[in-house]
Amino acid sequence: MENLVIPATERSPRVDFDFAAGRLSLRGESYPEDASKVFGPIFSGLDGFLSEAAGRDICFDIELVYFNSSSAKALMNMFLRLDEAAANGVRITVNWCFSPDDETMKEFGEDFAEDLEHVAFNLVAAQPAE
Amino acid sequence: MLAQYYRTFKRQLDEKGIVFSFSGYMSEGILYSLGEALRQKMTLEETNVTTIKKVFSVFVEQAQNIIRYSAEKVEGNVGRRIELSSGIVTIGTQDDRFFIVCANVVLNEDVERLRQRLEQLQNMDHDEIKAFYKEQLREAPEEGSRGATIGLIEIARRASAPLEFDFDPIDAESSFFCLRVSI
Repeated sequence: MENLVIPATERSPRVDFDFAAGRLSLRGESYPEDASKVFGPIFSGLDGFLSEAAGRDICFDIELVYFNSSSAKALMNMFLRLDEAAANGVRITVNWCFSPDDETMKEFGEDFAEDLEHVAFNLVAAQPAE
Repeated sequence: MLAQYYRTFKRQLDEKGIVFSFSGYMSEGILYSLGEALRQKMTLEETNVTTIKKVFSVFVEQAQNIIRYSAEKVEGNVGRRIELSSGIVTIGTQDDRFFIVCANVVLNEDVERLRQRLEQLQNMDHDEIKAFYKEQLREAPEEGSRGATIGLIEIARRASAPLEFDFDPIDAESSFFCLRVSI
């Protein structure tokens, strides 16, 4: 499967999905005019990949500095897809990375973690790599 | 006279603690640029990270509400689709707190629904707002809403006092809507 790499824009995150290695990442900010335009390609890439990934180990690093409410909804949607895949035998670890002094992103991570049953969700307080 | 007039105008804004103000046609590009300047200004003043996040988030949600819901709108195509929505955004400080005030024209037929939503949020405490937000995260978007419900909950969640809002009737079709959020 082709890797999915989408560069960041002013209001959308960098997407780097290395499907062969099982390493996915989402980095930056997300407050686009239309969240479905940003998350549509992410969802279709993930759906294709996850349907054939049973038994594999997948690591997903998420390092978002800010996202708006419609992106939050899209993220929830994305996590539910991951959780469903994890329930069906894909071993998924999400690393939710946030700056140690950023309580908002920490709280979002805790909220998402509460709703996921099958994904291993780690909260990682770390200074972003410059 | 000219300079005096605008100096008075500027002073009136300053006296109200207003640091940023924008009145006119709002676009996503203006939102981005104003938001950057706002974050830079707060960072220079060594505002703590969580406060910067809260102010920025409320600003984005409010500005996107104007872009999506202002009833005073120009749309068209100039090679690409353009949507410009008229409104006012002001950000300032008062008694060591930030405030964000946004206002725009809304259709009278939308007033009741908006009023009910905001009153519902006014009557919730912080934990209830958080629970409501989580519930709405899983909901499919309401028809015609383009994400308004969760946006208003996000605003209420970041506010440190109940939301203040008001409607000023213009004519049979429309009213002027104003929302003030204190951080």
